Amino acid sequence: MATVLAPEIPAPGFSFENCQRNAFLAQKGFPAPRATKTGTTIVGIIYADGVILGADTRATEGPVVSDKNCEKIHYLAANMYCCGAGTAADTEMTTQSVASQLELQRLHLGRAIPVATASTILQRTLFRYQGHIGAALVLGGVDRTGPHIYCIYPHGSVDKLPYATMGSGSLAAMAVFEAGWKANMSEEEGKKLVRDAIAAGIFNDLGSGSNVDICVIPTTGPAKYLRTYEEANVKGKKQGNYRYPIGTTAVLRQRVIPLEVESVTVTPTQPMEVEPSSSRR
Amino acid sequence: MSILAYNGGAVVAMKGKDCVAIATDKRFGIQAQTVSTNFPKVYQMSPTLYVGLPGLATDTQTVFQRLKFRMNLYELKENRTMTPKTFSAMLSNLLYERRFGPYFVEPVIAGLDPITEKPYVCNMDLIGCPNEPEDFVVSGTCSEQLYGMCEALWEPNLGPDDLFETISQALVNAADRDAISGWGAVVYIIEKDKITEKHVKTRMD
Amino acid sequence: MAASVVNAYSDPSTSWMNAPHSTGTSIMACEFDGGVVIGADSRTTTGVYIANRVTDKLTRITEHIYCCRSGSAADTQAIADIVTYHLNFHKMELGEAPLVESAAAIFRELCYNYRDSLMAGILVAGWDKHKGGQIYSVPIGGMVQRQQVSIGGSGSSYVYGYVDANFKPKMSKAEAMKFVTNTLTLAMLRDGSSGGVVRLGVITEAGVERSVILGDQLPKFYED
Repeated sequence: MATVLAPEIPAPGFSFENCQRNAFLAQKGFPAPRATKTGTTIVGIIYADGVILGADTRATEGPVVSDKNCEKIHYLAANMYCCGAGTAADTEMTTQSVASQLELQRLHLGRAIPVATASTILQRTLFRYQGHIGAALVLGGVDRTGPHIYCIYPHGSVDKLPYATMGSGSLAAMAVFEAGWKANMSEEEGKKLVRDAIAAGIFNDLGSGSNVDICVIPTTGPAKYLRTYEEANVKGKKQGNYRYPIGTTAVLRQRVIPLEVESVTVTPTQPMEVEPSSSRR
Repeated sequence: MSILAYNGGAVVAMKGKDCVAIATDKRFGIQAQTVSTNFPKVYQMSPTLYVGLPGLATDTQTVFQRLKFRMNLYELKENRTMTPKTFSAMLSNLLYERRFGPYFVEPVIAGLDPITEKPYVCNMDLIGCPNEPEDFVVSGTCSEQLYGMCEALWEPNLGPDDLFETISQALVNAADRDAISGWGAVVYIIEKDKITEKHVKTRMD
Repeated sequence: MAASVVNAYSDPSTSWMNAPHSTGTSIMACEFDGGVVIGADSRTTTGVYIANRVTDKLTRITEHIYCCRSGSAADTQAIADIVTYHLNFHKMELGEAPLVESAAAIFRELCYNYRDSLMAGILVAGWDKHKGGQIYSVPIGGMVQRQQVSIGGSGSSYVYGYVDANFKPKMSKAEAMKFVTNTLTLAMLRDGSSGGVVRLGVITEAGVERSVILGDQLPKFYED
């Protein structure tokens, strides 16, 4: 039986425990605060030998830049990555959950999982939550049927396209793609185009900024995650500093808690000797 | 008004050279009325791991209790201390579980990895989106002021003493421009062989 | 001026990001002697932004049954997925190709039961050996009605008169294809949320024959 000291193990999935309280607070004039949004530019293209994904690295909370260098290209599987825009926590947690489902399925079936599977899992997850999970995704990957780019919207609709953009900077990025995308581009051409599209978002969309991240997934060979492919905005070098001399801050009292540094020594266990004579006997 | 600003408070954490620092103010209020000046929002979770939970005070305490519970279970099961990275994943999952009815806290985590002794700082939004930068993290009602202070004051490879001055001045001066933060502050400097807890003198108005 | 800039900037996720992704659409299906012709434009919009200009709104359900989707992209994709699942299952139990009527019945069931939460206007079209080429219209609300010719989506309101004036029963395949192409072209010209290319599908006993008419190959009408 469940007691206060030994509570029952809660059911998996979302908890709606606080909803009633929070609705009450909202009604009293304390609306729920905003979560981190990634006003974002994310893109994906198909090139001659696979797919290339790109993203900016700015996360915002209202008008405040809450992360200047965040990672928006998420790992799904060795042959698949996924760019996320929208509510930062949703893109992060949804892709993590899908990554684990894909890995379990790969282990179960003993082969690489097709990109369509990931797309379907994401589509169904997002549709089930009717847009309340605010994840707008560009999924890219390769499998035995070739390279694929999927565009997945928060309400659970999917578009399969040769080139796609998402997020608040998607208009700027799409303008670059519509002008420059060709079928069967080389890797270098593709990376250049993706860089230009992300740069267009970084410089023309206020919700996007900082650096360009790129991920190249060729049909042959492993994915190349080029984190900070280009630092589009370099902060000016500080010529001096505002360092306060030691002793500036008035301290009322202090306490030093010494920590015992535990030295860890690892002794490998000796493999057990098997005497050949004993087995013969 | 945001419910995150109901009780007031601020927390900041910074990386230094082989050390990290985390600082909090001590005010607890109900909107404009100050109730207590001894309510630090930073808790020690393991010898070299601290978490700050500014936001709605009731949730500060609830989240801390749930974290402590999960952490005790982990330590009993695994017979080892939790790394800061694992801790932030745990907190992130705890908060995201309540995606549609969140706790009103925006946590800050600071610690040294118990094995590698590498400094670690992290903050999250109220539904657990982690942010692990290379420099500093801020949270609370004067986070905007703190961002400004930290961008100007922080520099790489500060030693423990310099880090203390930097983080203290950042917090004290940011809180001076916030009516519902301040009334004393505590700074913890975390090094591999010791923790230094310093109570800083601030304005009391 | 400055204030409006700041406001747009404080929440970068503007209307077209939050607006549900929907297919403001022109779709059509038309019976002819030996089967049906289905057609659709290729525009998907989120607010005023064209999210996809090469969408395929003609979705396969079985070898001989297709549907034309209009309304919310997420809802219609999900419904089509579920119907495809049910018909595959039905086909295994039955041991032969499902009837178009059966497909329409499942579409109706879903659209009616979830009528408060779905935004979907669907044309179910296909061929079976009992009744040949058939079209069933399942509009918002979840009723079902067999029709010889049917149009749907936001663009359809502009071309009801054209369809009524020009439809003839028992057209040849070429006539029917021309008729569908003309109707959709006219709808796309007048409707802002329809456009792109015309996608066609001809479903007969032999199966499906897909084709695309690109923007510069569409028929020309009076333009001032």
